[in-house]
Amino acid sequence: MEEFFQQLTNGLAVGGIYALIALGYTMVYGVLKLINFAHGDLFTIGAFLGLTLLTSLGLTDSVGPVAGLLVLAVMVVILVGVVGFLLERVAYRPLRTSPRLSAVVSALGASIFFQNAIMLIWGARPLVYPHGLLPNITVDVFGVELPLIRIIMFAISVVLMCGLYYLTHKTRIGTAIRAAAIDQGAAKLMGIDVNRVISLVFMIGPALGGAAGVMVGLYYGQINFTMGWLYGLKAFTAAILGGIGNIPGAMLGGLILGVVESLGAAYISIAWKDAISFLVLILILIVRPTGLLGERVADKV
Amino acid sequence: MKRFMRVLVFGLVASLLMASAALADTIKIGLQAPLTGKYASEGLDMKNLVEILAAKINADGGVNGKQIEIIAEDDAFDPKTAALAAQRLITSDVVGVIGTYGSSITEAAQDIYDEEDVIQIATGSTMVRLTEKGLANFFRTCPRDDSQGAAAAQVLKDRGYKRIAILHDNSSYAKGLADETRKLLDEKSVVFFDALNPGEQDYNTILTKIKGFNPDVIFYTGYFNEAGLLLRQKKEMKWDVAMMGGDATNNLDLVKIAGNDAAKGFFFVSPPGVNDLTSPFAKDILDKYKAEFNALPASIWSVFAGDAFLALVEAIRQTDSTDPEVLSDYLRNKMENYPGLTGTIAFDKKGDRSGKFYRLSEVNANGEFVMLP
Repeated sequence: MEEFFQQLTNGLAVGGIYALIALGYTMVYGVLKLINFAHGDLFTIGAFLGLTLLTSLGLTDSVGPVAGLLVLAVMVVILVGVVGFLLERVAYRPLRTSPRLSAVVSALGASIFFQNAIMLIWGARPLVYPHGLLPNITVDVFGVELPLIRIIMFAISVVLMCGLYYLTHKTRIGTAIRAAAIDQGAAKLMGIDVNRVISLVFMIGPALGGAAGVMVGLYYGQINFTMGWLYGLKAFTAAILGGIGNIPGAMLGGLILGVVESLGAAYISIAWKDAISFLVLILILIVRPTGLLGERVADKV
Repeated sequence: MKRFMRVLVFGLVASLLMASAALADTIKIGLQAPLTGKYASEGLDMKNLVEILAAKINADGGVNGKQIEIIAEDDAFDPKTAALAAQRLITSDVVGVIGTYGSSITEAAQDIYDEEDVIQIATGSTMVRLTEKGLANFFRTCPRDDSQGAAAAQVLKDRGYKRIAILHDNSSYAKGLADETRKLLDEKSVVFFDALNPGEQDYNTILTKIKGFNPDVIFYTGYFNEAGLLLRQKKEMKWDVAMMGGDATNNLDLVKIAGNDAAKGFFFVSPPGVNDLTSPFAKDILDKYKAEFNALPASIWSVFAGDAFLALVEAIRQTDSTDPEVLSDYLRNKMENYPGLTGTIAFDKKGDRSGKFYRLSEVNANGEFVMLP
């Protein structure tokens, strides 16, 4: 039983990261009906920028570790947000009225571009965050060993997600975002600057991905230029699982995927871990084609 | 044009005849290596090293009073070119052939040598199949792909582990090593056997699962990247089980990823690197090499060419013969612990290298790899 809870927490920890990345997919899809395949690479950029800022500015030495890491995270979030903004301007906006397939190809191209840019700037070898930045404290919760850092990471993920939910459902900007997601033409008629809304979405989504990148870098230590692919794929799956375009759905999907992965690995087979996750995805999509929380979209007549 | 070709062919034939006539009192040893193409650097290292060794032996009076002559032919790391190179070496009357680097290239040439009764000692071709064909004149100084498993199993037995967890990453290399090792261990002692997904970052799930089987060692057969993460996360779990790796973990990035504390005590089996060759003889030869070419051989594979050459020369010296049957019998049945560059040289019944060769290294407290005696 203890082992079960241990695996459950392992799954939730990974799931929290999937969920954070999945939000970016889901937001962009909600507004543009486009899967931003470069999103996983924006997450990688976050991890690498975090390492560069950390080692070049010496943040943790000047203002103490906690404040230093917070400043670092804020800087990375802003920078990755800017990269996301530029990505939309360069790769997606010119194709907004083109057939859907053009945008998909452009997204794949952007992903390849980012991945190679990261490799050329930072090299192909794995890089490592400095050791000993985070204290290795474990908390004993009902016989389950929980590293404090994992709890904090999970908490940060949840706070960021709740913040996003608040933004989209309780503020004027959020209303504009949701309006643009429902019908861009009508939103324009109501005086919403749809272009600005889309730019904003392309800053928020990648910024959350970048935050996830810094967390992954700080916690796991090792980062490499290809890591965005696997995380991106998993987060994309999580977004679909929860219902693409639905923000709470992305959170739920991420957590479920993480838990299914770790329990599948623990009780069925490690090697089949990913196959099990995708099998669950297929089963859920057979029962609920729109994902867990996805609404049925009525065809416009 | 026709006339020009005729002159050219005549010239070639004449020069070959003259060359073979002039050097009739030497012992000719062939070297087949990739001197051009993708692996030219390896081939040139092989040639340079063999020539240094030959010059040394010639300066000491040769073998049984005769000088040694190296005839190098390029196989360009290409099977078709290799077949031509083999034909050319056979027609230049070599006693035996050293080489070559690639397994598929060796495969293209080995039957040609065998039909003509020419000894071939391969130097970089690790494919298992090459020595399973029962060719009488084929040997190799490099290990074969499945010999690492035997070395790993031996280490696990020697260290007295009773509950062994074997983990691989589903790559053909790592899975092969894992399977090979499991075959040689007592069935009851392998308590866990599975694969992880390489390229991920969170292996806590896997470690938690393995911990449930209560092993006293984890043997991870994959690469340094995942091994580093496993060590790091194992330490975070406060689980101090021993961990061992194969030669794909022989990379200092492992310590960078895991951190010195977590990597300390990790040990791995691996062929020695060029820098690990510390015997006085090897040091002397490598110093000569460095003096002449301003660098050491880039990889251990070219050093195996030196060992192949030494083994063949030793066989000629001991038997005082250049008859392939006599030489083959000596190499297969009589050569014992001949001191080569990479360790002791001997061959088993199949022609595979049987001397002690794989070495065990351990990570010390400063995060350095220390080779154990």
